[in-house]
Order: sequence, then structure tokens, then C-alpha cells
Amino acid sequence: MIKNLNKLIKNLTLNELRTGLSITAKELVNKKITVQFPEERTPISSRFRGLHALRRYPNGEERCIACKLCEAVCPANAITIESEMRDDGTRRASQYDIDLFKCIFCGFCEEACPVDAIVETQIFDYVFESRQGSIMTKERLLEVGSQNEKVINQTKLEDAKYK
Amino acid sequence: MELWQTFVKMVHALVPWLDGTVAIILIIFIKAMALLIPLMLVVAYFTYAERKVIGYMQLRIGPNRVGPKGWLQPIADALKLMTKEIIFPTKANIYLFLLAPVLAIAPAIAVWAVIPFDEGIYITNLDISLLYVLAIGSIGVYGIILAGWASNSKYPLLGALRSAALLVSYEIVIGFALVTVVMIAGSVNLNTIVQAQQGGIIYWYFIPLFPIMIIFFISSLVETNRAPFDVVEGESEIVGGTHVEYSGMTFAVFFLAEYANMILMAVLSVIMFFGGWHSPFEAIPYLESVFSWIPGIIWLLVKTTFFMFLYLWIRATFPRFRYDQIMRLSWKVFLPITIIWIFVVALMTQLQLSPWF
Amino acid sequence: MGFEQIIFYIFSFWFVVSSLAMIFSRNAAKAVLFLVLAFFSAASIWILLEAEFLAIILILVYVGAVMVLFLFVIKMLNIDKSTIKARFTGYLPLRLIVAIIIIAEMSLVLGSNQFGLDVFSVPARHSEGYSNITVLAMQFYTIYVYPFELAAVLLLIAIIAAITLVHRNDNTSRKKQSISEQVNVQAKDRVRLVSIILPDKKEK
Repeated sequence: MIKNLNKLIKNLTLNELRTGLSITAKELVNKKITVQFPEERTPISSRFRGLHALRRYPNGEERCIACKLCEAVCPANAITIESEMRDDGTRRASQYDIDLFKCIFCGFCEEACPVDAIVETQIFDYVFESRQGSIMTKERLLEVGSQNEKVINQTKLEDAKYK
Repeated sequence: MELWQTFVKMVHALVPWLDGTVAIILIIFIKAMALLIPLMLVVAYFTYAERKVIGYMQLRIGPNRVGPKGWLQPIADALKLMTKEIIFPTKANIYLFLLAPVLAIAPAIAVWAVIPFDEGIYITNLDISLLYVLAIGSIGVYGIILAGWASNSKYPLLGALRSAALLVSYEIVIGFALVTVVMIAGSVNLNTIVQAQQGGIIYWYFIPLFPIMIIFFISSLVETNRAPFDVVEGESEIVGGTHVEYSGMTFAVFFLAEYANMILMAVLSVIMFFGGWHSPFEAIPYLESVFSWIPGIIWLLVKTTFFMFLYLWIRATFPRFRYDQIMRLSWKVFLPITIIWIFVVALMTQLQLSPWF
Repeated sequence: MGFEQIIFYIFSFWFVVSSLAMIFSRNAAKAVLFLVLAFFSAASIWILLEAEFLAIILILVYVGAVMVLFLFVIKMLNIDKSTIKARFTGYLPLRLIVAIIIIAEMSLVLGSNQFGLDVFSVPARHSEGYSNITVLAMQFYTIYVYPFELAAVLLLIAIIAAITLVHRNDNTSRKKQSISEQVNVQAKDRVRLVSIILPDKKEK
């Protein structure tokens, strides 16, 4: 009886509604935790697997030897490689395409690469402006690599001890 | 009021070739515009305030990209909606489909004709303005019902059915709640109701009618289809309710109507229960003279803003009611309480309870 | 022609047009909407007669509530137009006779010879302070207080009768939710915390 009366009084005084309102009122003045994306960024793990890049040796020679291990291991069949013999007798890729629409960003290509040529960078905010844009050609991959060389070197170094 | 007289004289002087009738229509038109343009601006920035306030309550910061601090966001939204294509469903009834948004916005604006903003500042001083507000407000249902019916689509139809049943039941609650106000004020004229609350904060009707004030406010949430009673839209249940088939400007008109109604309900709450344009510092010895320079319209707007904020606060706080629970709330909780309170008010009137009678 | 007369003719025109449109419209929802327009025009003409309380009540009750319920019902109906047409022609002669009789009766009772200016004098214009609602209230709560209260009681009985008709069946056979039970539920009614003694602990 008294319990029911208590419940009735609580209901009529809108007890629970007031509790809810007080919580939102408190949050209204609390510090906001929004990260303003293009200007501020959240920290990214060194193992983050984003846009692909092809790396070069410090002397400017491209690392990829067209061994096609990445093409073989790719579970989504996103990589297409054609090889040729260059004038100095080395084996190089004449074509190295990654279809980013097929790619599932598993990182197996990076694992398979014997010369650490193909890597996945921390870049995740990229856009395609045309239908062909999703296919990363060798030139574009090398450009991504040379533009972000320092960052790639550093993150790979950070991650190396856990491999 | 003197300002208005000079204005009328000015209009007559500026256009001397106009005879009585045309001048009257012109003056009515100017009066309507003087109300409508600020109202639409307030509606636009109310949407901005809504996004900001709800964002802040959810620890976000809301829109802040368009213009400084996001101040141009509502204008960008309006431009976007205006340039979007209006899509007609293939088997929809086009005339009724287009009539629905008109029927939604017309009553939402027409009601403002009788709202008194200050002593003598109103478009018309109707003797039965409270009944006018209720009558015109009840027409707003047609917009939603027709939108649901004319779309020839199942979710809008479900939304329209919900809104028809909801609005009819909550109009009864609002009607009964306002009966108590009329009993105390002894008038259905909004001007007189506000004038009756003169003389300080203890004369305002929210003190003798406290439960009625809360019931009126909650019912006004239902009437305007606001969270937590927005089952008519109910995104998680019926996609978007009556708005599903509407796009571009037709949707924008519904949007405007909803927000205009919300502001109207806030103003009505202030007029009925919080002394309209009267200053809260009336009859307090020192403060009255300090704040006496503030015109009544500012007090009305400040109080209205508080109620508008309350709408946003409640939307950010409570989850949506289930449909049958809203119906139960109306018929089994609110209606009995209002009827009991009518008896209480009748008793108060008989006992000449000061200071309200 | 004065301003008032222009307004009167505009609203009368819409009244007649919308009434006819309501009768001849094939679509039930459109018919209801034309009826709403007719109510509006009638209310506007009443306002010209200084009967603003009646006008507002007409809109509040009929447009705001009754017609909404009409639309509500019409939306539920699935009207087959061909059957309506078939029935329409079948009973046409009988209907025409009934219609003609009704029109004749109404023109006799409601014609200008009954309510014209030669029978009633022109309603006097009231001064600015005149309040229609006060005058009506004075009539209702003094002279006509018993009929007024009786009508109210009659409506109350009608409401109770309608509700009892709906709830005639016993409640046990109907599937329904008890909302008050659902609303009053507490966290401890739903979650039971049980202390579990793990078997290997028991052995030790």
C-alpha cells in the first residue's frame, strides 16, 4: 500500500523524467569530444592498413621485382602484374595495377612481398574522381610511395619489433 | 499603439489615391508580412538551434562549417531544399498531394493572427481568440492526413492513421486544460487572459494550474508531433511516416509548419500560464524599477525561448513512446486529471482564493 | 457594392460550389474535403452575421473532429466504383423522386418567404464592444440551463453506451497488453541476480 503510494507520488511528480532531463542538462555544459576531422585527426595505429604504395630504395631504384607473390596471395584478385626484362637484365614490373574496389585491405600483399616493395599506408581519406580512378597504376602507387616515404619508413620501423 | 497609428497614417499619406478598401487590404498585408518574415527567420534558426542544442547534449558540437560557427547552415539547408526535385509518386493523387503541405502550413501561420505580443501589439484582437487558436490548430491535422492518403503508399497511410487518432484525442485534453485557464481568467480573449495575470509573478496561472501546465505542455508535444511522441514520423517503425513520399520544397513546407506550430505552442504556454508579456519582476520593490525599461515583447520572447529550448531538451532526452501508450496517457491519465482539476478550479473560484480570483 | 457584400458573395459562391462538388465527386476523400470547404464558407458567412462563436465551434467540432474521423474511416474503406455505379442506375427513379420531394420541402420551409427580409427585420449592427459569446452564455446558463444540461447528460450517456457496446465481450478472450503493468515495471522485476557456486569450488 505504502509502496504503491510511493510509486504514485513518484509518477505524479515526474521523478524519472526529471532524472533524465538533469542528465542531458549536465551533458549540455560538459566538454565536447568531437574531433574536427580535416584539421584534427585521431591517432592511427602503425598497423593501420590504408591506401597502397610502392616503395623505392634510397638510391631511387624501385623495389618491386615482379615476383607476383602478392598477386598470388591476394584473396580478392585485386592485383594484376605484368613483368619484363629491363636493358640491364633485371626483372621489373611493366604493369602493376591494384583495383581498390576489389581490394579488401587485408595486408597479405605486404606480408608476402620479399623486398618490402608494396606497403599499405595510413592514408584513408582518398577519393576517385572518375570510373578508372579506382585502379591504382604502378606510377600512381610509386608516387604515393615517394610522397609519404618518411611516414612509411617510420611506421614500418615502429611495427617491425612486433612482427 | 501610437507607433501603429502613425504607421497607418503614413500608409494613407504615401498612397493617397487608394480608397478605403484597398488601403485596408494593404495595411493587413503589411501587418501580415511584419509577422511572417520574422517568424520564418525564427523557424529557420530554430532548426539550427535544435541541431546545436541536441548536439551539445550528445557531447557533439553540431553544425559549424557553413559560415562563421555554422550560422549560415539554415540558409544552406533552405537553398538545398528549394533546388531539389519534387517527385510525385506515380499513382498519387497529385492535387491532394500538393494540397497537403498547403493545408499544413496555412493553419500554422493563420493562428498567429490572434497572438498578442505586447499590450496592444497584435494583428487582430478577436473576442474568441482562444477558440480560434483551437479551431484553426485542429485544421492542421488535414495536412498530415491528406499527405498520408494522397501519397498512395503504405507508410504514409500508417502515419496518417496514427496522427488522426492522436490529434483528435489530444485536442480534447488541450481543450479541457484550457477550460481551466478560461475559468480563472473569465475570458476566451488571449489579450484579456494576459491582462488578468498582471501584478507580479504570483499572479501567473502556472501556480494554481501547475499540473494543467505540465499536461498542456506534454499535449502540445503530441500536437506538434515532437519527440518523444513523434510516432507519426517514427523513423524506426514506419520509415518517415507521412513525409516518405515528399521531397524538395513540399517537404520543406511540412518542416516549416511543424516548427511554426512548435513556436506557436511555446507562445501559447507563455500566454496561458506564464503571464504573456508581463515582466517577472513586477511588484518586486527594487527589481521592478531596474527592469522597467524592457518592453513587454522582449519578456514574451525570452519566456517563449525558454519553452522552445524545453522542446529541444525533451527531444534530446527521452526515447519514443509506443503508440498505444500515448493513447493511454491521453485518455486514462491526462483527461481524468484535467477534469479533476476543473473541479478544483471551480472550488477555488467559489472560495475566492487570492490572489487569482 | 461594399467590401462586406463582396466577401459575402465570394463565400456564398464557394459554399454552393463546394456543396455541389461534394455531391457529385466520385472520390469519397475528395467529397469529404469539399464538405470541409463548405463548412468553412458557412462559418465565414456566420462571422459576417456577427455569430463568430457559432462559426468557430462549427470549425472546431465539425472540421476539426468529425470530418477527421470521416477521413479516418474512408481511408480504411476499399470502395469498388463499379458496384456503386451499378446500384446508382438501378435505384435512380426512386432516388430522383425522394430528392425532388426533399428539395420541394426545403424550399417551402427554408425559402425567402419564411426567412426573408419581409418576415425578419435586418439584423442590427452591434457596437464594437459586443461579445457574441457573452450573450450566448447568458442564454445558455440562465433561461436554457435545463435543456443545456439535459443535452450534456444525453451525450454522456451516448459515450458510455458506445464504450460498453465495444467492451461487451469478456476480457479474457481478447489478447491485449496491460500497459499499466508494463509502465510500472522496475529493473528488479526483470533481472534476477543469482549467486552461482561453481562445482569445483564446492568440492574444495
